Amino acid sequence: MDILASTFFDWGVNLQLLVSGLALGAIYAVVALGFVLVEKSTAVLNLAVGEFLMLGSYFGVAFFMERKTNIFIGTLVITLVMALFGLAIHYGIMRPMVGQGFFAIVLATIGIATVIRAVVQMWFGPLEKGNLTALPTGTIEVAGTSIRWVDIIILLVVLGSVGAFLVFYARTRTGLHMRAVASNIEAAAGVGIDPDRAYAITWAMAIGIAGLGGVMLGHFTPSVNPALAAIGLRAFPAAAIGGFTSVGGSIIGGLIVGVIEQLAGGHFGTKWREPVAFGILILVLIFKPTGLFGQKDLERV
Amino acid sequence: MTSVTETATPASRQILAKRTPTWMRALPFLVAIASPVILDKISWNPFGGWKLLVGFLVLVGIGWFAWSNAEHDPDDPRLSLKLWHRADQRALAAVTCFVLMAIPFILSTDWEPPMDFPWNSWFRIVNYIILFALGAGAFNLLVGYTGQLSMAHAAFLMIGTMVGAQVGLIWEQSFWLCLPVAALAGAVLGVFFGIPALRLRGLYLMLATIGVHFIILLVWKEYIVHQFGFSGMRFTTPNLPSWLHWIPGINPEDGEFLINSQFRWFWVNLGITTVGLLFIVNVVRSREGRAFAAVRDRDISATLLGINVPRSKLVSFALSSALVSVSGCMLSYYNRARSEDSFHLELVLDYGIIIVVGGFMGIQGAIFGSIFFFALPMYFEWMREELPIISDIDFFSRYAGEIDLAIRGILVVVVLVWRPDGLAGLWQAMKKRALLRMQAPRRGVVQ
Amino acid sequence: MSSSLKIDGLSVSYGPIPALRNVSIEVPEGGFVSVLGSNGAGKTTLVRTITGVLYLQKGKVTSGSITRDGQDMTKLKTRKIVTGGVAQVPEGRMLFPQLTVEENLRCGAASRRDLAGINDTLSEVFDLFPQLPPLQNQLAGLLSGGEQQMVAVGRALMAKPSLLVCDELSLGLAPLIVRDLFLLLDRINKEGVAVLAIEQNARIALQHSTYAYALEVGEIVLEGPSDELRENQEVQDLYMGGGGDSREAYAAIRREVNR
Repeated sequence: MDILASTFFDWGVNLQLLVSGLALGAIYAVVALGFVLVEKSTAVLNLAVGEFLMLGSYFGVAFFMERKTNIFIGTLVITLVMALFGLAIHYGIMRPMVGQGFFAIVLATIGIATVIRAVVQMWFGPLEKGNLTALPTGTIEVAGTSIRWVDIIILLVVLGSVGAFLVFYARTRTGLHMRAVASNIEAAAGVGIDPDRAYAITWAMAIGIAGLGGVMLGHFTPSVNPALAAIGLRAFPAAAIGGFTSVGGSIIGGLIVGVIEQLAGGHFGTKWREPVAFGILILVLIFKPTGLFGQKDLERV
Repeated sequence: MTSVTETATPASRQILAKRTPTWMRALPFLVAIASPVILDKISWNPFGGWKLLVGFLVLVGIGWFAWSNAEHDPDDPRLSLKLWHRADQRALAAVTCFVLMAIPFILSTDWEPPMDFPWNSWFRIVNYIILFALGAGAFNLLVGYTGQLSMAHAAFLMIGTMVGAQVGLIWEQSFWLCLPVAALAGAVLGVFFGIPALRLRGLYLMLATIGVHFIILLVWKEYIVHQFGFSGMRFTTPNLPSWLHWIPGINPEDGEFLINSQFRWFWVNLGITTVGLLFIVNVVRSREGRAFAAVRDRDISATLLGINVPRSKLVSFALSSALVSVSGCMLSYYNRARSEDSFHLELVLDYGIIIVVGGFMGIQGAIFGSIFFFALPMYFEWMREELPIISDIDFFSRYAGEIDLAIRGILVVVVLVWRPDGLAGLWQAMKKRALLRMQAPRRGVVQ
Repeated sequence: MSSSLKIDGLSVSYGPIPALRNVSIEVPEGGFVSVLGSNGAGKTTLVRTITGVLYLQKGKVTSGSITRDGQDMTKLKTRKIVTGGVAQVPEGRMLFPQLTVEENLRCGAASRRDLAGINDTLSEVFDLFPQLPPLQNQLAGLLSGGEQQMVAVGRALMAKPSLLVCDELSLGLAPLIVRDLFLLLDRINKEGVAVLAIEQNARIALQHSTYAYALEVGEIVLEGPSDELRENQEVQDLYMGGGGDSREAYAAIRREVNR
């Protein structure tokens, strides 16, 4: 307990944990966005998001570590390639499965996750790679504490791209059609919106953003390894605390969970990270069953 | 239609069908399951004349069971409530029983050629299939029948293991006491952790139960480190209850009858799994089970039908967790060693794959799914080692684990895309087609 | 007079279950035609077939055709059908509850290419329904039933259709609101949009339409000008609860169809 007392009120440590928590939270927000976007539009819970992030990180290894590609070009290419993966998943697997039960489709995404994990290990080997260093690696002194540049850049990049996505989703015609399909697919088909196309765009964007998040994740963690995929499960509380039906809420949820995890991990030891995050999740869900920002379903019987 | 069947079924048979109590009809099954345990102690040679004779008698009994009073009045509504009311179902049950009986003898015999055939590891796999079928069936009771998406499955396996360790290892009680205590603990904690299900549905419930998993995982890690240290638990070999010893033929070795071979574990596992799965089947057919289905299909409508939905959900959680916890205890005793990292969330996904690939509806799904889940890697391994072309390619042996993983993932996706109702659905469709072909000419006569 | 929509010998089934058998309906250019039918008559299947969303329920056209300007529509995608000028007001409104009223209306224009014209049509629709502009930014799921139905009609009009297919416009609405809605349909019809109203409420449908069909158990059992049908004893018995023998008459028709 004395360890606890010594760091708990050390504001320098807390600030450091806060900033790295925000950066981690930004990555959670990306994963949560991947969950929420796909869940909201296509009613599929994509449990493979974590694996797609890991794949993005490994693409980062291939581009930035082995080929020294320019960071901008590399990130763009990775995002586009991942978007193509999203299209492939929609047309190859999800479209034939339309109309099947929720759990079966979730299981199919787990199947995809399994395949990705296996392929990555065959391609890059089971050994872990170092972390990516294409982003600036130095630190900056703020209020007597050194804060990594990477954390700040990750936060900005993620918030910027997610914000851009939100504007697209809320303001453009395609975004409107995507929301219409998410709201009521039969009605959307009836007014001449092609649900298939909306689904395909949704998948492409969700997986593309996951690819971007993967590159960021590769910079955040000390090493790129297959266990990175676990971030998919760890980001669950983020998506749910924000409310699974709210795209904006998932981002706030991601930041909250990231900060809480880093603070809990920093003060009590890393084994407390998941229990604390999920404990808070359960509390939130008991009092607000659809999360902080989630919509209540209007259900007709 | 009715007149044909009425004349085809003699009155005496109908009376027999109505009067025979269930326990009497189940007798051949019990004999079939129990006899090899007894015979194992009686005879010397696995395929000695003794056993053949008894095996033959058992087979005749099963045949009688399967085909006697097979034809009922198809319009009798009570029939749908009966467990095996059609001839084909009885026949299937009988064949299954016989195959199960034959497995341990085949696998435990010291066959000469081929010497390198991994009989013993196959036996292990069979035992795992049986134990996983129990866990998957219990999981399916909650997920498939009641529609409560729970990810706390591994958590209850941990609870069962902890109870087994506490009662059996630390308090040094009998293995047979561990099982009911594990069931009780599972039921109580199942109700406790099922409380979120009263407020949450679908996805949110799933997340809350993942939370339950992580909380119990923390308790598990603390427990195992404090009680057993970093080397983990080592379970003792259980023995059969002492009251079995006075049954003629069961001779205690050094005063106890240890369950120390795959052969003996097979019967213990099979017995408990059979009881557990039959329990699930019967729960599902009961009033309570129909309430579960109503809750799954539309819980608000179920409330309007007068079903106490919170009660149904909690009962389902309690029953499922109790059985899962028993299967966890069994698995740990069978596995013998458990460490800090023995249970992770992916285990839940494995069980999920089992029930979804096997098929949601019915207990068949759990069994088919378990077979799929364990037999497939074995099959790949056999291909890698035996098939001439594949065994020559270095790539396959170097990335054996990854290839297994990838193929399993692909197969899961293929099964789900191609057959949404799983392998059990495939089996039903095949059976239906075969039956239709058999009945086609007969139906022409009737009309 | 050229026809806006011509359905010829259409049969539809859901798997092994037939839903429509040999149905022929014609909607003249700028006409107002109604199709009457009780529950399970196949009305909704008819709408789904016309608007090309049958595949969502795994239904299939087994024979017959739906033609428009000589072009077969049974194989077309919904998007093409809506672009071709057939808009539907689906049964039970089918709005996008989480979207605002304006967004709902804009979705109706999803198939249009002339982006500039959309805003004009939006203001036309708002002129037609003066109740809607104040509700513009409300979520559609929170509106009352009558308002939702207006949004649904407005959404269909956003596609600038030449044929409006209304499925059960009167469902669950107060008689006064139903009357208002049908008066609106008359107005829309006067502006040259053909209307095909599929209705259970025969009284109001026959008042407003010029020609009507009666659909029972997937078959057309009666047809004729609306004025004549209104006087027809059978129709009165069946759909208006007029005579004393309505149940018997209904049973007779069902028997006839089933044979």
